[in-house]
Amino acid sequence: MAVAPPNPEHAPAVLEARAIHKSFGRMKAVCGLELAVHAGEIYGLVGPDGAGKTTSIRVLAGLMGADAGEARVDGKDPMRDRVAVRERIGYMPQQYSLYGDLTIDENLAFFADMFCLPEKEYRERADRLLALTRLERFRSRRADALSGGMYKKLALSCSLLHRPRLLLLDEPTNGVDPVSRREFWDLLGEFTHEGMAVLISTPYMDEAARCHRVGLMHHGRMLVEGRPGELVRGFPHSVLRAVGGDREGLTARLGVHPRVLALSPAGSRVRVVVERGGEAEVRALISEQGATCEGAVPDFEDLFLARLREEES
Amino acid sequence: MSAARRFLTRWLALSRKEVIHIVRDVQVVYMALGMPVVLLILFGYAVSFDLERLPIGVVDQDGTPASRHLTEAMTAGDAFEVRERLSDASELESRFRQGKLKAGLVIPEGYGRKLARGTVSESQILLDGADGTTAGIALGYAMGMSQAESRRMLESSGLAPELAIQDRVRLRFNPGMKSAWFIVPGLIAMILSIMAVMLTALTVAREWERGSMEQLFSTPVGRLEVILGKLAPYVVLGMVQVLLVVTMGTVLFGVPVRGSLWLLFGAALLFLVGMLGQGLFISVATRNQQVATQIGFVTSMLPTLLLSGFMFPVANMPVPLQVLSAVIPSRYFIVVLRGVLLKGNGVDVLWPELMALAVFALVMIGLSSARFKRRLD
Ligand SMILES: Nc1ncnc2c1ncn2[C@@H]1O[C@H](COP(=O)(O)OP(=O)(O)OP(=O)(O)O)[C@@H](O)[C@H]1O
Ligand SMILES: [Mg+2]
Repeated sequence: MAVAPPNPEHAPAVLEARAIHKSFGRMKAVCGLELAVHAGEIYGLVGPDGAGKTTSIRVLAGLMGADAGEARVDGKDPMRDRVAVRERIGYMPQQYSLYGDLTIDENLAFFADMFCLPEKEYRERADRLLALTRLERFRSRRADALSGGMYKKLALSCSLLHRPRLLLLDEPTNGVDPVSRREFWDLLGEFTHEGMAVLISTPYMDEAARCHRVGLMHHGRMLVEGRPGELVRGFPHSVLRAVGGDREGLTARLGVHPRVLALSPAGSRVRVVVERGGEAEVRALISEQGATCEGAVPDFEDLFLARLREEES
Repeated sequence: MSAARRFLTRWLALSRKEVIHIVRDVQVVYMALGMPVVLLILFGYAVSFDLERLPIGVVDQDGTPASRHLTEAMTAGDAFEVRERLSDASELESRFRQGKLKAGLVIPEGYGRKLARGTVSESQILLDGADGTTAGIALGYAMGMSQAESRRMLESSGLAPELAIQDRVRLRFNPGMKSAWFIVPGLIAMILSIMAVMLTALTVAREWERGSMEQLFSTPVGRLEVILGKLAPYVVLGMVQVLLVVTMGTVLFGVPVRGSLWLLFGAALLFLVGMLGQGLFISVATRNQQVATQIGFVTSMLPTLLLSGFMFPVANMPVPLQVLSAVIPSRYFIVVLRGVLLKGNGVDVLWPELMALAVFALVMIGLSSARFKRRLD
């Protein structure tokens, strides 16, 4: 588990973004992004496909210029102070970006040289990272022969070699099995202990719960932001779980109901987020369809789905 | 660490990585070492302009010692080989049609008698004009030989040879008019430019397509470091190719090496850096392997073939093309190659060409690193 330092928000901000805008032609990918990530903090950028997560991260890394607004990494502008900023960040792009025909060792050595790490420091650091990621046995295996989870751990190691102040991870666990995902998060916890700030984007809601703070992005805008626990506690709507009955009829009816904010089938059940004050109405409808229904504790996914729905209507 | 140390560290690491890409992709190695050999053999033999043993039919209607002498003189060299002796000139035509003969020599009756009387005697040469190039060269040979023969006869008969213009043509540097000597230097330039441009045209584009550029650009690496790191291994590979084609040129085609090999390799190095730089520039600008390959091929092969003086002398081109050829590095490289190989020229003669090659190399590297944006948008 990522154990939060008592209050990372009180630590100095490593990354700051103010009113960042970025468009591609008429497509507004990011609109007015405001963000601060502090030392020792894991900040989760959550959002559906095309929300603008990758674009935001690229702008913050100085790989793209913003149309407006400013970004600061340790007080430096990523576009103007490129070298200083790049020495301070570790970046793991969304797509596969290591050299597939190079081995684990060769990839690590290459990126260590890009940061001009002294030989001794590189050895120690690489050994430690490979031990933590349990990749030691595969040092001479080519990167394109690694499993998805191993590859991601290697990519993480490559971006951590130079002890960055800020780690930018773009959907690092996408397409990785659940066990490797858990391992990945445990590793992240280790490194934030050292005071590193992490900005991670993810489409997985359960991962959002492991961040110190999260922001929900949609169509380039930040919809909600806060500590996961507080956000869930402040959730004004209620959640029902419907079991049995005619599931197709049920989802069809619920889907068009004005007070239903979100609907997600989970196994034999249907999870329903109901707008505040509409609970009785919806319970009645569920019984009508011959299903039983019980209350449930809201979680992140409920919160985000409801928020996205509110945004769209 | 000092800035220079950092530069070197990164340059070295990038080069080492590129070498790994090359040696682990066997196809690249095969292509780099096999293609020059195949191309040189293919073009070297196919584009040969030499006439060797062109089949000629002889119609000797005179049958005197004089006419036999002419026939012998005509076919003394390697150019013509008497394939058939015919009795009538009309038979030549059908042989031409069948492709059995390419040339015919007709000596009419009375040739020897007229010659003995000191009047003008005639003989006729027929050529298959369907193959224009061959016919043209054959014509040249035949004229040359008949002129030589008549001069010889005039001299031996003591008939005022000083009245005629005595053009004693002697071909320096390539006395046998061996076309291989002329072609091989051009071929070397063409092969090296195609190979160099194609090898690097792929490298940067490949990194864009595979996504590794994004990771690379998130590090403090500089663009000149990336460009030079990509260049260095290919320069080494290119020099191996130079060694290969020059050796083959001398061994297979008997091209002489009259000047300094060091000068030759020095010039080749400048030329290679320029052409590799051109490939890099294309790669940087297109970011797409397929487009880069096509542009690379067209911009390396065509200018070398058409504008460099390889096939057509630059001086004979229309002025706009001459101007265009001034920015084609192969033009200068071919001058250096011919100069060093055939004439034994040194730096004292070739320095303008060497300068031109160096300028082109610098411009290409400058352009590619200037055009190389460390940005994804
Ligand atoms: N280089 C680009 N050129 C043009 N449009 C782009 C470019 N990059 C992103 N976009 C567009 O900007 C929008 C935001 O894309 P972005 O990749 O930032 O989203 P994302 O949240 O990372 O999505 P995903 O989960 O698919 O990775 C999308 O509509 C996308 O099509
Ligand atoms: Mg993305």
